[in-house]
Order: sequence, then C-alpha cells, then structure tokens
Amino acid sequence: MNLIELRSIVVGHHGRPVLPPIDLTLRRGMFLGVIGPNGSGKTTLLRTVLRLQAPISGLMLYPSGKAPRVGYVPQRDAVDLSFPLTALEIATMGRYGRIGRLARPGSADREAALRALGDVGAGALAGSAYHALSGGQRQRVLIARALAGEPDLLLLDEPATGMDLPSERAMLDLLASFARRNIGVVMVTHHLGAVADYASELCLVAGPSRPITLGPRAEVLTSERLSEIYGTRVVVARLGEHASIYMPRETP
Amino acid sequence: MDAAPSFLDSYFLWRDPLAVAAMAAVLCSFVGVYIVLRRIVFVSAALSQMSGVGVATAFWLASVAGVEPHRAPWYLHPLWLAFLFAAAGAAAFSLHLARRRIAAETVVGAGYLLAGAAMILVLNSPRVTQETHEVNDLLYGNAVAVPPEQLWIMAACTVAVLALHLLLYKDFVFVSFDGEMARTLGYRAWWWNFVLFETFALAISVSTRAVGALPVFGFMVLPAAAALLLSARLWQVFALAVIIALASAVGGYYASFRWSLPTGASMVVAIPVVAGAVAALRLVFGRRAS
Repeated sequence: MNLIELRSIVVGHHGRPVLPPIDLTLRRGMFLGVIGPNGSGKTTLLRTVLRLQAPISGLMLYPSGKAPRVGYVPQRDAVDLSFPLTALEIATMGRYGRIGRLARPGSADREAALRALGDVGAGALAGSAYHALSGGQRQRVLIARALAGEPDLLLLDEPATGMDLPSERAMLDLLASFARRNIGVVMVTHHLGAVADYASELCLVAGPSRPITLGPRAEVLTSERLSEIYGTRVVVARLGEHASIYMPRETP
Repeated sequence: MDAAPSFLDSYFLWRDPLAVAAMAAVLCSFVGVYIVLRRIVFVSAALSQMSGVGVATAFWLASVAGVEPHRAPWYLHPLWLAFLFAAAGAAAFSLHLARRRIAAETVVGAGYLLAGAAMILVLNSPRVTQETHEVNDLLYGNAVAVPPEQLWIMAACTVAVLALHLLLYKDFVFVSFDGEMARTLGYRAWWWNFVLFETFALAISVSTRAVGALPVFGFMVLPAAAALLLSARLWQVFALAVIIALASAVGGYYASFRWSLPTGASMVVAIPVVAGAVAALRLVFGRRAS
C-alpha cells in the first residue's frame, strides 16, 4: 500500500536545490535506505518528507487521502540530554499526536509506550533517566518513541552513528522486523555497511548535479556506481545474499 | 532571638511585601525551569530590561500627553506598557527560534543592549528626570512598600500563569524538549513557543515591578539550576525549584528585616543557602533510606 508519493519533488534550502527532481513512492513494508556522501542532500530529503521544510517545487501526494502517521527518529545528538526525563516519559511523547493538545496521557498511552520499549528490547529501561543510558540504549528509546505512536511509516536519520558493531546489527535487525510487520521504514545513512544487508531498496543521492539512483539494493549497490559517486575506488563484494563494501588500499 | 517578636509584631509592615515577593518567587522559579533547560537564561535579563523600557516610556508618554502619571489612562499605565514591551521582546525571541540563522544568545544579547540603551535615552529626557526616583522604584522594585493594587495584580498573574502551565504542561515540555519531533506530530511549534515565551514576559514584567530585576533574575535561574542538580525527575525539579525559591524569598526577607540588608540581594543570596540545606537534607534522608 502506497503511503506517500513524491512527484518531481525538488528539495533544497532558500530556493537553491540540493538534489535533482525526484519521483519516489514510500510504501508499507518497504525498507528504503537513503545513502550518499556527506552533504549530498539525504537529510534535506528526509526533512521534506516529514514536512519539516517545504519542497522548492513538485507534489507530495497521500494516496489514502490523508497524511500517513509517521514516526521520526532524529539523530541521537539532536536530543537534549539536560532534560531530566525517563525512557518511559520520552517514549510516551510518541503518543502525543494521538492524545490531543490539552489532554494528559492515559493508561492506554503508557501501556503503548511500555509495549514499544519492550519491542525494542528496552522494557527494563522504562524508569531509567534518559541521560544516564548508553548511546545504543538511547537510540532504542528514540525508536520506541517513534513506534509508540503506531506509525505507518518510520523515518530514521543516521540511526547507526556512534554505535558499536553488535548494537548496530541489533538495531538493523529490529528495523527489518518492523518492515516485516508492514511498517514502511526509511533510513538515511552515510554508512553503506548498514544498508548493504538490510535495505530492500536504495535511493543513492549525490548532490544537485548528479542523477538520483533508485531501485532494488542489488541494482543500486554496484562497485562502478559507488566508485563514481565517491570519486574513489569502492568495491562491493557479494557473498551469496550478503554484500560487503570496502575501499581497497592503493599500494604504490 | 530578640528580633523574632519585633518581626512578628511588625506583621502589618511586611505582610504585603512578603506576599508579593513569595508570589514572584513561585512564579519566576516555575517558569525558570524552562529557561534553564532551554539554555536561554539571559532571556529573563533581556525581558526585564525591555519591561523597564516600557515603564520609562509610560512616564515619558504621560508627560508628553500632559497627564499626571498616577492619573494616566490604563493604556499609559507603567505596568501595562512594561508587559507590552516585554511581550514584544518575548515574541521576537520565540519567533527567532523558528528561523535560527543567528545564535539565540546573540539575539538575546542584542535585545538586552538595545533595551538598555533605549531606557537610558528615555530616562535622559527632561520630561522624565523629575520622576527618576519613582521610575527607579518601578524599574527595580520596592519590596518595602506595596500598594494593594499591586498585590492583586501579582496574585492574578501568578494564578493565571501557573494554571496555564499546569494545563499545557505536556505540550510545553514536549515542544521545549524536541520541537522538531513535535512538528512531525502536528504541533505548531512556533505557536507553542510563542505562548510559552509570553508567559515568561508576564512573569518577568509583574515580578520586576514587585521585587526588582536582580531577584527576578535570581529566582528565574538559581532555584531551577539547583533543583536540576538535586533531582532526576522533571516534576520534582519544578516542585523543588518552587520550594527553594519560596523558602529563599521568606528567609531573605527575614534576614533583610533582621539585619537591615537590601531586600532583593538578601533573597538572591538566600537561594544557594536554601539549596544547600535541601541538598544536605536529601543526603541525610538518602543515607537513612539506604
């Protein structure tokens, strides 16, 4: 089921495009990785889909007639650690879009937040102060907050930044499980290894003057394409279903 | 010991000023939690300065209109203009948050400087100089003599602002903590920030008139900062900040009466003393509990 259709959308800042026009359909159950070098326009595209900034031109359509319910996971560093809030209080914020402005969260909202924390393996952290958690635990709490609102579409901005390898893998397994539960997942990352084994589709962006490549992972993730985008030799090695990406060291 | 009876005997002297100071302490320390958490402590200094421009302007306009300041129509009342100027400043600061091309502290600093300069210019006018003593009272507060009208205005504003904050607690916290996430859930963050900042303006303008700029700045920043050090739960931080500020207002006022000290400064100095006592109590009871 299509949730959002972008038609010739141009994204950018102050009227200056950062990407060429893009046609993109976001569906339930998809796991889309948005990849590209630093400063290539990934986050700008995500913020436009989230309606945090207006597109320069083009159309954003909602096939169901209304905007889907989105769960947003910002970059972890963007969340203020000085607020003395518990993991449960933060997860409950994901329900605020449903609660209404003047109302207080009820027991159903707290239960939904606890369920979301449990889903991401952070149920035991509900009463813990957010600022006292490790980076991986904080990331789980932010994902739980997005999940607590029972979203149709989950959008994540660089969720793997600062995570060690096991934490990163555990988080990616979790996101893949959401896609299997028919939630659309869109993950912006500059970390190619994070999407090589998980995203079903990729959107490769590289600034305003290069075309956007969009398609199934195996088609987009090729050594030639990545080498061209990054301006250096990048190798995509395939081992059955798995892909490994590396930059070979040039020996004189 | 001998001062206690005389303090109690002088009840009629300190009842209203202490009530006003206590209300200012409660009001400022409550909204101060947002100010400290959002790292905009100098907003309170800038808004205080802007409300001062409003007071000075009220006197100047009254003299231009040929009206005796105390008999001026409501729209030239110093307190009304103090709020109007502070509200305009608060609106500018809150709307700036939505379009951050310059750091918030730079905008607040610019507001403080311009308001300070404007106040000096207005007070320098020959039309106002003869009223300078009275203007200073209005600008920096006079915690000794409080007219009944001021007591009621302070009470009404305290109840109104606290009621609004209790009603909108969840939304103010959400927009302050993660405005971007709030926007993705349909909140008009600029509007919520605007309303929040207008409550700062109201709290600061009425409190500055009541107790002066220094105690207002102190009540905004110090109790909230101390409470954040003492508690890891947000609702406890609000409660602790209010308790510390209230105890400091009462303690500072008593010290000022007892030893003939400046009232505003005494209340500010009492804040870390009370916060230290709360920390010590917490330590003792924490140890007992463990």
